[in-house]
This record gives sequence, structure tokens and C-alpha cells, in this order.
Amino acid sequence: MAIAEHKLTSVSPATAYSGSFPWRTWLATVDHKKIGIIYIVSAFVFFLLGGIEAMLMRVQLGTPNNTFLSADVYNQLFTMHATTMIFLMIMPMNVGIGNYVVPLMIGARDMAFPRLNAMSIWLFLGGGLLLYMSFLTGGAPNGGWFAYAPLTQVQYSPTAGMDYWILGLGLTGIASIAGALNFIVTVLNMRAPGMSINRMPLFVWMNLVVSFLIIFAFPTFTVGSIELLFDRQFGGAFFNPAQGGDAMRWQHLFWFFGHPEVYILILPVMGMISEILPVFSRKPIFGYSFVAFSGVGIGFLGFIVWAHHMFGVGMGPMANAFFAAASMVIAIPTGVKIFNWIATMWAGDVRLTTAMLYAIGFISMFIIGGISGITLASPPIDLQQTDSYYVVAHLHYVLFGGSILGLFAGGYYWFPKMTGRMLNERIGKIQFWIMLISFNVTFFPMHFVGTEGMPRRIYTYEAGMGWDMWNFVETVGSFFLAFSILVFIYNVIISLRSGEVASNDPWDAATLEWTIPSPPPSYNFLHIPVVNSRRPLWDAKYPHAAGDDHHGESSAPSLVRYEYTDEDTAGAKEIHMPSLTFSPMILSGGLTIAALGFIYINKDILGLPTRMAALGFILIGIVMVSVAIRGWIVDSRKDSPYLGQHH
Amino acid sequence: MSATSHAHHDEAGQAPLVGSLGVDSRKLGLWAFIGSETLFFTALITTHLIFYARTKAELTASGMFAHLDPKHFLGINLTSVLAAILLASSLTMVLALAASKAKEWQKFRFWLLATIILGSSFVLGQAYEFTHLYEEGLKLAPQFVFEGETVKSLFGVTFFTMTGFHGLHVTLGVVWLIAVYFKVRKFAASPENPMDVELVGLYWHFVDLVWVAIFTLIYLI
Amino acid sequence: MAEHATHDQHAEVHESHGTGFYWMVGAILAIITTIEVAIFLVKDAIGNELFLVILFVLSIAKGAGVVMFFMHLRGDARIFQFVFIVPLIFAVTMCLGFLTIFSNHVGIAG
Repeated sequence: MAIAEHKLTSVSPATAYSGSFPWRTWLATVDHKKIGIIYIVSAFVFFLLGGIEAMLMRVQLGTPNNTFLSADVYNQLFTMHATTMIFLMIMPMNVGIGNYVVPLMIGARDMAFPRLNAMSIWLFLGGGLLLYMSFLTGGAPNGGWFAYAPLTQVQYSPTAGMDYWILGLGLTGIASIAGALNFIVTVLNMRAPGMSINRMPLFVWMNLVVSFLIIFAFPTFTVGSIELLFDRQFGGAFFNPAQGGDAMRWQHLFWFFGHPEVYILILPVMGMISEILPVFSRKPIFGYSFVAFSGVGIGFLGFIVWAHHMFGVGMGPMANAFFAAASMVIAIPTGVKIFNWIATMWAGDVRLTTAMLYAIGFISMFIIGGISGITLASPPIDLQQTDSYYVVAHLHYVLFGGSILGLFAGGYYWFPKMTGRMLNERIGKIQFWIMLISFNVTFFPMHFVGTEGMPRRIYTYEAGMGWDMWNFVETVGSFFLAFSILVFIYNVIISLRSGEVASNDPWDAATLEWTIPSPPPSYNFLHIPVVNSRRPLWDAKYPHAAGDDHHGESSAPSLVRYEYTDEDTAGAKEIHMPSLTFSPMILSGGLTIAALGFIYINKDILGLPTRMAALGFILIGIVMVSVAIRGWIVDSRKDSPYLGQHH
Repeated sequence: MSATSHAHHDEAGQAPLVGSLGVDSRKLGLWAFIGSETLFFTALITTHLIFYARTKAELTASGMFAHLDPKHFLGINLTSVLAAILLASSLTMVLALAASKAKEWQKFRFWLLATIILGSSFVLGQAYEFTHLYEEGLKLAPQFVFEGETVKSLFGVTFFTMTGFHGLHVTLGVVWLIAVYFKVRKFAASPENPMDVELVGLYWHFVDLVWVAIFTLIYLI
Repeated sequence: MAEHATHDQHAEVHESHGTGFYWMVGAILAIITTIEVAIFLVKDAIGNELFLVILFVLSIAKGAGVVMFFMHLRGDARIFQFVFIVPLIFAVTMCLGFLTIFSNHVGIAG
């Protein structure tokens, strides 16, 4: 019986690093796994860039009256740090892991729209590179990631930086919406037989919720940034009060997107945690439906709390009261999740692997961030703390202590599946402790300096305000935090080279991705699995324990099997996978080049030649897009399921 | 629907187009996209309404509203014609879809061409309207000139942004319609043709739907 | 697999309209548009409130006609209704919310 062999190792560890790199199969790929890895690697590079920006800021703030950075450079750095971490790191990292894992979890061979998936990754990269180009062309965006009007108007932000911000994020926004549509259709319509909605792994659930959040939240941001672009390029005055515009409207439009955005950042990570905790506690998740539906609840409530970011602007008592109450209500579904996670570990056979440590770290740090969040939801307290370092502490506890620790948990958990090698557990645990302690050393004192009145986004401060000591401590902590990232990179490198080879199922897990080899063959499943429980692999391995927590579902033995397949397995050749195509990349490149041209279409730099060049870029972009659309249609006909029937 | 009949030939749940929910993947994706676009246009329309209310309040306070209401720019005649064109194109579109499902390709080509022509007429009509308004004094600028008086108002900015983006969607829709026309002509026997037509049809009706909202909220009220 | 089969049948239901039906819907929508323009022209005679009420009812009817019959949302798979109607509700709520916030109502907009 295949079940008994589950310690058997897979025969094909990652071979990508031997010999010359197969560029073509990566650049023209439509395989969700390769696309996922490109997402993950590029998001990690942006993570390092955003980290370097943070380190520069910490050096500047380490001592009072420091002149390491000028005010202008500091503005650019905090804008780019936040923009990078949110749009170019956490979001794409979530999407990357989701891209890799979600189809495997639901027993699919690819995403619903593989070519659209490829377009998303290249468009995301195009947007990210466009954003970073601004450093070379006269200055990065400097209006903060929230881009409050009227700071972003041409007279206050005269470099092209904000234009790069608008169009760069516009491109990543299109990528996100396309990706979200892809996830929605994949999760709803590509599930294996028997994988009903209420049997889906919670990570899949959360990706579904987040995809809906993305398609509902991004349009207002798109409209806001289009209006801002019209202000800057064509003298529109949407957000310029001096000319009849309204700066408040930007804040409302932005936060109507921005608050769901923070749930877009955290919910997939909560999904990862909900996968990892049961595996390393050797128990089913406690209260599956509650965890799933509290995710839906958080997503829904996320749309009616946006103005709690704006108590400081004076919206009046009615609006304040409404948004405060709605914000506090979010604590309920969040608390439900936290209690369910704790109850999952309770009396479980807990194995403290690195992934588990990170998951527990996530819960602990997220609780701290959640509690400071509740204090900020109260307008009187918020009025004291808003725009102070207290808020910086809060947001880093939920975004670093929450999202990023959770992403490391997911990273350690799925790394063997993606690469065929285990990450070194000993180095991993050392890295975890360095990161957890230095994270707290860096960010916990921000509560103190914030409460003592240190405003955020200032590039320096006078000595003797009572902030000196803690700022120095924070800077020291941040260096250890950076060191822990270097340890992680070291771990990845040595593990890829000589790490322990991963079997199909190194963690003794429960979901479908662990039935297939690590890394999986291009077609994932030789036989599409038939699912009859929430934990198909677990129930196959431990039939005597099957049926618990299935609430009256049939406890018929699970039919899933380990598969030991590769590209040459008999029958694998008959599985038709979409063919390689460069069209999505050309299309994305065209849009990026056109966006670059659009930035300079109305700029008074060097006069006419600039405008002609800008126009030229736009035309090249349009030509590339047209060529790509034609190529796309031709390539998609190659894979049409009907092709065989009318020839 | 041709796609359905293939569902059972392949491995269950992995049928090429019809999946675990029993619907066509592309159609589901397009409907979700339309849902997203609804929010996009709502944000644009809301912007226009907010600033029009403000202009109205300011002009009313100075007693000039009846005289200087920027709605005077928007002639009802041309707009009604445009609304009728788009509505008619929705009808021809659905007739083209019905013909494609009945495999009456002659009829299909006629109705799809009619949709393309009506759609193009709408774009041309809007281009005419824009140039006309521009000459009359409504520009993409935070003031407009009406009967020699300059009024500080965002009416022009919000109006052109909103209707411009709608026009852009109509234009892309026409391009898509043309692409489907040629695709169906080249692969007349392809069983996925009705779905290709249905998809562009859904998008086209949505664009019409946005115009229904703009026509009422912007031109009539 | 029973689940799949019922969904398939469900998705089939809406395909039965003849072209005559579409002509009829088109004619009704045209009539609605004509009435809209007509009441716009006699707005001053019937009063602004009545005008707005009639206009909204007619426009909603027109939009619903397009969505239900031309886009076949009526009788189509429920997931399509979900992914369109939920954002539509969000959109209307957002529109009303923003209009309230940016009204000059004392105590809300401050």
C-alpha cells in the first residue's frame, strides 16, 4: 500500500541550479508553480530593497540632530519603504505562495487562466521596476505611501516621483486585479471532484476572500490615482483645495481601498497559519467553519471602517462614532480566529519546528498589534496617538509581527514542496529567535517614544526630548533584524545546495499538495484526486482516526494516494499543459514602456524632445501590446480544448 | 451550450472550460471583472456628483445658479441620440448572440456588424460632443466659461474624466467586437464561438448599463 | 458528481428566449428612454420631486432589463448573480456614503 511508503524520498530534487539556467522555460512559462517562484523571488528582492531603505532611516534616527540623510531623501525613503513593503513585498509574496500552493491544494493542474497568470507576474515586475526607476530619474516619490493631498500636487512634489508612484502602482494594480480574478475562478471552478467549498483548506478560503477584497477595493484606488494623475499632468485640481478641489476626498478614496488592503496583506497569512498549526499540533483545526467565516467577516467589515485612519482630520462626532464602533467590531472575528488557533494547539502533540515557531510568533505578535489597534480605534485615544510613533509600532506589529512572521512560517513550511530540499531546521530556529527578539527590540520602544510625543515621518529630532535612548535601542535592534534576514538567506543557499532531500510529505501533513512529489512535476497530479474529507491525505494515512471533526460526513476511507511521478512517467505525456508563450511578457513590457512614456508626456523637461520621446515610448508600448494580443490569441488556440474536434 | 456537453468527456472536474461549479471559467472571470468595473465607474460618477453638488451650492448662494448651471452645456438632444444608439447596439448584440447559438452565421454577421457600426457611431458622437463642449468653454480645467463669465468649478474635469473613461471602454469594446467578428469568420466551425460572442456581449451590455446610469445621473437630473 | 450535474442543468435554463422576446425587451427599453426624455422636458410642470422619483424608477427598470434579459443574469448560475450583485450593493452603499460624508450636513461632515 502506498500509504506505508510515506517516508520514501522523492527522486527529483531541484535541478534548476545545475548546468546552464533554462531561461526560456522560465521567461515564457505559464506554469503556476514557476510563476509562483518568480513572484516569491522578486518579492524577496523587493523585501531586501525595502529593508535597506528602513536601515538607512534607522541610522538617521539613531542619534538626535543627525545629518546622515537630508529631509528630502528621508521623505523618499519612508515613502518607498512603505510602498515597497506593502505593494512589492507582502502582497506579491502572498500571491506567489498562493499561486504555487492553491492549485495543488484543490487538486488542479494549473490556474484557470495560465497566460493571464503570466501577465500578472510580468506586469507586477514592470510596475515595481518602474517605481524603482524613479530613484535614477530625479527623485523617488516623496508623498508617503498614503500620498495625502495636497502634498502630492505638482507645486509640493515637483519631481516626477509621484507620477512614477501612480503609474507603477497602476501597473501592479492591474496585475493584482487580474491575479485576483484568476484566483476566484480557480478556487471556484477548478476544484477536484469532492473538494466542495466546505472542504477547502483554509488557506484556499482566505485566498478566495482576499481575491474578492482586491477586486472590490482596488477600483477606488485606481480612480483616486487616475484623478491624481490628471491633477499632476493636465491641471485637473481634483485634490487641490486652492482651485476648488477637495483634499479630504483623496483620504476617503485612498482609505476605502487602504483599509481592505491591510486585510489583503494579513488574511492569506492567517490562512497559512491555519494550515501550519494543525499539522504541527497533529490535530484538526479547531472550529473550521468559524475560522473560515470569521475571515469572510473580517473581509466584509474591512470595507466599513476606512475612516478610522482619519479621526485626526475632524470628521464630526457622527462619523467618528460610526467608524470607531465598526472598527472595534472587527476585534470579534479576529479574536475568534486567535482563540481557534490556540484551541488547535491545546492538548495537541506540538512539534516545535521552525515553521511552527514562526506561526506561534505570528499569533503572539499579532495579538500585541491587535490590542494597540483597539486603542487606536477609539477616537479620543487616537487623537493623542495619531501620527506618532505609537502608530508606527502598531502597524509594524501587525505587518511585520503579523504578515512577515507568518510568511516566514509559510516559507519554512512549503520550501520543501517548492524546491525538493528541506531548509536547515537548526539555523532556522536560531534565525527565528534572533528575528523575534530583535523585532521586539526594534519596534516595542516605539510605543514609548510615540506616547511621549515623537511624531512619525520626521527626519530628525532635537536631543533631550526623552527619545534619544529608545531611538538608539531601536536602531541597534534593527541591525540585528537585518542580520536575521542574512541568516535566512544563508540558510536558503546552503539548503538548496546540500539540504536534506524532501519526501512527498516531510511534515506528515493533511492536504493534497503533500501527496505529490517535491517539487511537483509540471502537471502536478497524474491522477486528479477524488476528495471525500477536509483532510484527505491525513485520512488516507490514519484511517482509524478518519471522521473526527467531520461532523457527520462520511468516514469512508480516503481515496488519495501518494504519487511518485516525474515528467517521464507513463501517461504524463498525454496530459496537455498550456504551451510556453512570450506574449504575456511582451504585453506587460509594452504597458510598462507606455506608462514610462506617459509620465513625461506633459513634463517641461528639455522641452519638445522629451515629449517626442515620451510619445515614441507610448507608441512602442501600444505596438508591443497589439503584437502581444495577436500572439496571445494564436498561442491560446494551440491549447484550445476544441482544436482536435474541428480539424 | 456546447461547452457543457464536453464536461463529461474529460476527467471529472478538470474539463477544459466547465469546472467544478458547472460554469464556464471565462464567463465567471468576466462577471467578476464586471463586478469590479461597477465599483470603478461608481467611484467616477460619485466624484462628479459630489463636485456638481458643490458647484450648485456655491452658485445658488450667489444667486447665479439658474443662469450659470453647467448643465446648460449638456444638450439633451445629442445625448438622447447617443443613449438610443447604445441601447440599440445592446439589442443587436443580443440578437447576434442568439444567431450564433442557432448557428445562423449569416444573421450573426449582420447583427454583429450592426453592433460594431452602432458602437463606432457612439464613439464618434462622443468625440463630436467633446469637441463641441470644448469650443463652448467646458474644458479639462477647474473652471468653465459660460456666456462670457468664468466660473470656478470642477464640472469639466469630473465630466470629461468620467465620460472619457466610459468612451474608452466603448472603444475597447468595439475593438473586441471586431476581433470576435474576424475570429468567428476564420474559425466558423469552432464550438466555442457562441461563448466568445457571449463574453464580448456581456462586456458590451455592461458598457451600455454604465451609460444608463450616466444618462440618468449626469444628463437628466 | 450529482452536484455537478445539477449545476449544469441549472446553467442551461436561461437559453430559451426567442429573438421576438429580445425585440420586445428592446422596444420596452426604448419606450422607457423616451418617457425619461419626455419627463425631462416637462420637468418644471411636474415638479422636481415627482420627476426624480419617476426618473429613478424608470432608470432602475431599464438597468434591470439590460442585466436580467440582455445579460441573461435572470435564471443564470447563481455565482454570476453573486459576483455582480454584491459589488453593486457595495458600489451603491459607497456612493451614498460618500455623498453623505461630502454633503454639508452638520455633524457628519463636520
